[in-house]
Amino acid sequence: MKVLEVRSVGLGATVQDMGRGGWKRFGVPPSGAMDPHAAARANRLVGNPDDAPVLELLMQGAAFRVLAPRRFAVAGAEAGAIIPAWQARLLSRGTTLAFPRCMKGLWTYVAVEGGFVAERILGSASAYPRGGIGRELRAGDRLEAGHPISPGRLSASWLYPCECRNYDDPPLIRVWPGPQWEQFDDMERAGFFSAEWEISNRSDRVGYRLEGARMNAPALGMCSEPVVMGSIQIPPNGQPIVTMRDGPTVGGYPKIGIVDPDSLPWLAQCRPGVKFRMAPAE
Amino acid sequence: MRWTPCGPCAVLIEFPEHIGARARAIEEMLVVDPTVADFAIAFDKLLIEFVPGTPVDAAHWLRRLEALPISANIEPTTHEIPVVYDGPDLIEVAERHGLTREELIELHSTPVYEVALLGFAPGFPYLSGLDSRLHTPRRANPRPTVPAGAVAIGGSHAGIYSVPTPGGWNLIGMTNARLFDPQRREPDESAMFLLRPGDRVKFTPVP
Repeated sequence: MKVLEVRSVGLGATVQDMGRGGWKRFGVPPSGAMDPHAAARANRLVGNPDDAPVLELLMQGAAFRVLAPRRFAVAGAEAGAIIPAWQARLLSRGTTLAFPRCMKGLWTYVAVEGGFVAERILGSASAYPRGGIGRELRAGDRLEAGHPISPGRLSASWLYPCECRNYDDPPLIRVWPGPQWEQFDDMERAGFFSAEWEISNRSDRVGYRLEGARMNAPALGMCSEPVVMGSIQIPPNGQPIVTMRDGPTVGGYPKIGIVDPDSLPWLAQCRPGVKFRMAPAE
Repeated sequence: MRWTPCGPCAVLIEFPEHIGARARAIEEMLVVDPTVADFAIAFDKLLIEFVPGTPVDAAHWLRRLEALPISANIEPTTHEIPVVYDGPDLIEVAERHGLTREELIELHSTPVYEVALLGFAPGFPYLSGLDSRLHTPRRANPRPTVPAGAVAIGGSHAGIYSVPTPGGWNLIGMTNARLFDPQRREPDESAMFLLRPGDRVKFTPVP
């Protein structure tokens, strides 16, 4: 059943789930929700499995019209919709669900009871338009929802307060040593963990550029090597780049560290201006 | 073989030389292992990502990889890729190396290349084996869009664009081979990709 019509996509809107694994050897990155914690919570609020397809909205400007009454949930960045972040509501036909002003975080997730229906390619409904897999949503698209997965089952209509994250106040971002950690000198490594960082405006689903300190990368003359999500590469200009979910599967710059998978959703929601620090992972 | 951890659930293994034709045997070993979530190959390196929660036992994997015979009985597939040599950078690349158009085509279509990695975009191959007389730095100003099927030279590698994307490689021709086609799903979804790591590629000029 068609439940939502796209009126405006704002700064960007795609369908995402928890991403696709197992295709890296063909050059296919994981994709999936930038903040899987929030995407999973949106799904739980409407009784879906954590990995049901959701809408991922960047910051603000997206607007939808409800075509059929359903329960919808919003989680992640707070963008001023009639459903506040981390809550679910039954919306009636004709309601406008708009996200006019992003106040905290970067990525907002919208889930619908039954999950959004989207074509699965390589095991996932996640759009990766840059790689020719799926596409961005467009104004006029009519989005379909599946049948509620367990009709009659009570969905979690609330979350624990600690699940509702305040993206203006990120915790320490935990970082494992990268493959070239040993080749960075002591000063660089110490400086990396003492600096206060923020993300640059030139950041997207592919990579986040970090501002805060200028790093000196060792001159290694490396060949490209496979990279994991969260890898922190230091290119010759000294500005670290973190490989995000649509990032290339190979990279040729020295990697000082790897953001811990549990910290990566926090990093993903840090907007420019939000300061954070990094600390060694245990 | 050396290895280094890559975060809590992955290892990066460095082979003494390019993985090359062993890629197929490695693939056959890893795809059936329930503890392996994903893996990637590039030149002399193999990344193995494990299902979260799996203890990372690098020594076990080094032993298994070292036990693989060099070619492991799996003959790499050779793909003939037809090319119309009419790329926008063809003449510039030829002149840069003091070659005629015909000499460039000859040098590019003679070797049997090896897929050293697929990356940068789904199904995009970095092909090793490019004649050193054709090594050409990437363009200072990348093009905003390069069409899928563009046959290109980037540094010491030959390549083929698999999806329309911005790109800085030098474009020397076009092929109608589809390196990545999401509609190609038989016998399974891996059919979307024309090439696998370790495969061989031969370019055939189309008049």
